[in-house]
Amino acid sequence: MGFEIDYLAIAPELILVATIVMVLVLDFVLPRRAKYFTAIASVLGVTFAALPLLILAVDGGSREMFDGSYTVDTFALVLKGLFIVAGYLVLLMSVSYIEGDRYYQGEYYFLILCSILGSLVMASSRDLIVLFIGLELTTAPLFMLAGWRKGDMKSNEASLKYYILGVLSTALMLFGMSLVFGLTGEVSFDGIREGIGDAAAGDASTALGLAVLLIIVGFGFKVSAVPFHFWAPDTYEGAPTPVTAYLSVNSKAAGFVGMLILMYLALPGASNYWAPALWIMAAASMTIGNLAALRQQNIVRLLAYSSIAQAGFMLVPFAAAAVSGTDLSEAFSATVVYLVIYSIMNLGAFAVVIAGARKTGTGDIDGWAGLGSYDARLGVLAAVFFFSLAGIPPLAGWFAKFVMFRSVMIAGGVSTVALAVIAAVNSVIAFYYYARVVKSIWLDGAPATALGDRADTPAGSLRLALIIAGVLTVLVGIYPTLASVFGDASRVLAAG
Amino acid sequence: MNLGDWISQPVNWVFTLLALASAYSGVRVVTSQNVIRAALFLVGALASSAGLFLLLSAEFVALTLVLVYIGAVIVLFLFGIMITRAPLGRDVALDHKRRAPAAITSIILFAVLSWASIRAFAGREVTGVGDATDTRLLGEALLGRFVVPFEVVSFLLLAALIGGITLARKDLSPAEEEAREAT
Repeated sequence: MGFEIDYLAIAPELILVATIVMVLVLDFVLPRRAKYFTAIASVLGVTFAALPLLILAVDGGSREMFDGSYTVDTFALVLKGLFIVAGYLVLLMSVSYIEGDRYYQGEYYFLILCSILGSLVMASSRDLIVLFIGLELTTAPLFMLAGWRKGDMKSNEASLKYYILGVLSTALMLFGMSLVFGLTGEVSFDGIREGIGDAAAGDASTALGLAVLLIIVGFGFKVSAVPFHFWAPDTYEGAPTPVTAYLSVNSKAAGFVGMLILMYLALPGASNYWAPALWIMAAASMTIGNLAALRQQNIVRLLAYSSIAQAGFMLVPFAAAAVSGTDLSEAFSATVVYLVIYSIMNLGAFAVVIAGARKTGTGDIDGWAGLGSYDARLGVLAAVFFFSLAGIPPLAGWFAKFVMFRSVMIAGGVSTVALAVIAAVNSVIAFYYYARVVKSIWLDGAPATALGDRADTPAGSLRLALIIAGVLTVLVGIYPTLASVFGDASRVLAAG
Repeated sequence: MNLGDWISQPVNWVFTLLALASAYSGVRVVTSQNVIRAALFLVGALASSAGLFLLLSAEFVALTLVLVYIGAVIVLFLFGIMITRAPLGRDVALDHKRRAPAAITSIILFAVLSWASIRAFAGREVTGVGDATDTRLLGEALLGRFVVPFEVVSFLLLAALIGGITLARKDLSPAEEEAREAT
């Protein structure tokens, strides 16, 4: 025995745990009218959970616990920061939405906080068991949150589709992990990396290849990459919009982080299996996601397909570097930078959708026509986020695309260049449908009959979320060094 | 090992019996059109898996399987079916038209998995049998090296519980809520 627990290192998780318990108790004692206090408690709790991250970041260094299975290093801190900021924005977006819907507020915040806790645990995991539990805690509450609008058939469908496919993919991933454990006899990433050499040789190589593919299926589902994306458009459309925002950012980021650390730290010896698989997934996600997005009329479905395509872009650096066999650290930092920027701008886009849906009274892109004429500020923000998603300078999205292409160019090689060409073509296609939304908002005339309340002002919390996401998007676009700090931090993992 | 040696060892007989029972029950769980029967076959599948764990002298895992899955989960499941007004008899809705593609997919998956597992693990000695009997080691591992996932699982279960209740609960109208709070 004798495992030292570094309480400072796990302070963010502990604060979040305390908040979760407090939200539950508050929900129990508060009368119906005062339930919004649970929202305030959640927002405060998440804010406090960020403080120890700053202390740890200033302190620097790597803190390992439990034989290195739980590690808090700069890489983990960067990702925890991302999960907390994204969770914070989602909470802000939820407040007015959930309150207006009179749907179980306390339980809603409880589940969101549990999911954030899961992603924090996962960012520190350096062992299959911690990774799996963290990942499940991140996604399991979302099965239920997707169905939070109980009276709405679409929401029920969203929840059920996500749940059934999610359970199937989890089972496959778990089977893959158990094969890895069976072949190496280890659950820690270090142990697997050392044991994988023997497993990759001889008869066991079939089982290893299968294990790697099964694990990729599981993660492919979580990041909604083609061909594991079928649940995404329906679930995104049916779920309450803040939950959709959370699904497309936090749970996707959690899936990416899990996949990358597992492939990079534990299974580099099996890259001949996962590199081609990631290459195909990247190319297919970009192409199919973008082509399907072209045909969408509903703005949430459009963002769903766009998030599938963006998942493809995020896979590009890693797939390219692994296929060409070059050093993965550059690709790692490119993916993390892309992930951070994508999270902020996508959350902003969803905040616009929430505010805009109340004003226009519809999720139809044509129904959004002329939004800029009666609410210029929201129109400008919509243009900022959608152009940023398309990758137009000087908004943050261009830097994400830039680091992606740069890492591909560093990797070199025929298959890599082919992937870069596919990515370039897709960037152009993507521009078309993002621009279509902005065109509808600014250039088309407003419909004569207003479906929604055009004079509606978004609640203060939603406005705050819009401002934070907007400022970050513009700021990172103008000073990209801000985001590359995150990338440099993730190189620590590569070096260690 | 030739066939004679294989037959002369009783443990192989026990294994074959348990494996067949487990496979048969597993197939019947999905093919049965009666929910109660499916649940009872699930008991069979879990019990034979518990037997397999016993053969590996992992008696704690075997007992947990019996206590938690058979003793609690399935029994609750059966109670749930019987207490609610769910249909008890043969239910045609449990079947569906696309069983052929589903069966083909499952058979291919089964073939691939067995092929890979046999290639990887055939002829490998099962080591560690006998060492695992110490349940204390298991407890120490759970509360030592694996204490973080162990504690996190409790939040996973709590989230599932609360979320499940919220979704399954019958919604009251605002007036009914007010009345309930007043009392």
